[in-house]
Amino acid sequence: MRNSEPGSPVSSISGRLPAADADAPITRLFESMRPDLLRFAQWLARDRAIAEDIVQEALLRAWRSRDALKDPSAARPWLLTIVRREHARLYERKRLELVSLDEVVETQASSAFSEPGGELFALRHAIMRLPIEYREPLVLQVLGGFSTEEIARELALSATAVLTRLFRARNKLRVICGLTAAPDLAPRENLP
Amino acid sequence: MTCDEARLLIGADPGAATPALEEHLATCAACARFRDEMRCLDADIRRALERPPDIARPRPGRQPLPWRQWALAASVVLATLAVLAVWLLRPSDTLAREVVAHVQGEPDSWLATQHVSAQGITQALHGAGVALEVTSDKIMYAQSCWFRGHYVPHLVIETARGPATVLILRHEQVRARRAFHEAGMTGVIVPAEHGSIAVLTRGAGDLDDIAGQMQHDVHWLADAH
Repeated sequence: MRNSEPGSPVSSISGRLPAADADAPITRLFESMRPDLLRFAQWLARDRAIAEDIVQEALLRAWRSRDALKDPSAARPWLLTIVRREHARLYERKRLELVSLDEVVETQASSAFSEPGGELFALRHAIMRLPIEYREPLVLQVLGGFSTEEIARELALSATAVLTRLFRARNKLRVICGLTAAPDLAPRENLP
Repeated sequence: MTCDEARLLIGADPGAATPALEEHLATCAACARFRDEMRCLDADIRRALERPPDIARPRPGRQPLPWRQWALAASVVLATLAVLAVWLLRPSDTLAREVVAHVQGEPDSWLATQHVSAQGITQALHGAGVALEVTSDKIMYAQSCWFRGHYVPHLVIETARGPATVLILRHEQVRARRAFHEAGMTGVIVPAEHGSIAVLTRGAGDLDDIAGQMQHDVHWLADAH
């Protein structure tokens, strides 16, 4: 059971957001970012229900810490960071069972994005199959717009380690797209 | 900047455009091409990530009751047996179908009531490269029939359970016994020393006994073509 507070983004789901609340602008700001956050969380968790839980919890945390957000223009990376940490925390806390992608089905309606044989289907599937060590920095970079240094800070890695992981992630995807894999130039790191 | 350093940076961040990288790319066509490839790939990655992976993990559902599992298992077994029976009794291949069609084309063969003379049997075997040990008083019908490019003996033999048709197929090889059921006839084709022997009945004749007897009674002549 999730906690909720009046006026928070969580309670707003059930339509209990006070209309004249002094925090209404920040609530609207958070809410406007929910689709972005959910997409980000889904690429991390690879499970919609878990991603929704993560975003819900992250928004609640953000709401409680809203005073720490001095610059509303920084809300997006701030919220993405909270979502990422919530995802990591959830896995640490619950030791969620690993998702076997062989047992997982993409449920979206047919489109070039999800239809087998669609131009991006193989790439999407390959990204989903990337180990979290590669998928996480890639998603942070491409979806979150984080720089190498920001990712390194967030993941507590060196910048070189982040470059290595990003290089290897793209190298795996190169092959899926019919390109030859580039020689692994990255410094050795004990990763899959 | 070396090529290795440039490619590591490009692979990690295709959008990167540091002065050192740009300087290197200005003089290295291979790395410049690599960046073009990686930027195209990155555009695809961006498009792929635009839509969330709306995936569903199978949720643990209610466990089926034990009797339902047994019923399901029984259904599977019955269905398998039914398919197996149909498969075993079907005309297993073109040869079986053609044998049935040939016998259907000579319906009078089943109706013969007179034993075939020794001369008639000899004529039926002529050119087929076989000799028979069956006593002539058991053979009610004997013809040399054109079948699949060769003359083959077509016999009807009287058995305790009614007439049985036998085709001696010197030129048709089968690797194992094949059973079939079609057009009211049940039959087997069994491998023989040379070629094969087809046995068909319209009732409940013991096909395998007859086929075994024929395998014993048919002598394959060495000089046949």
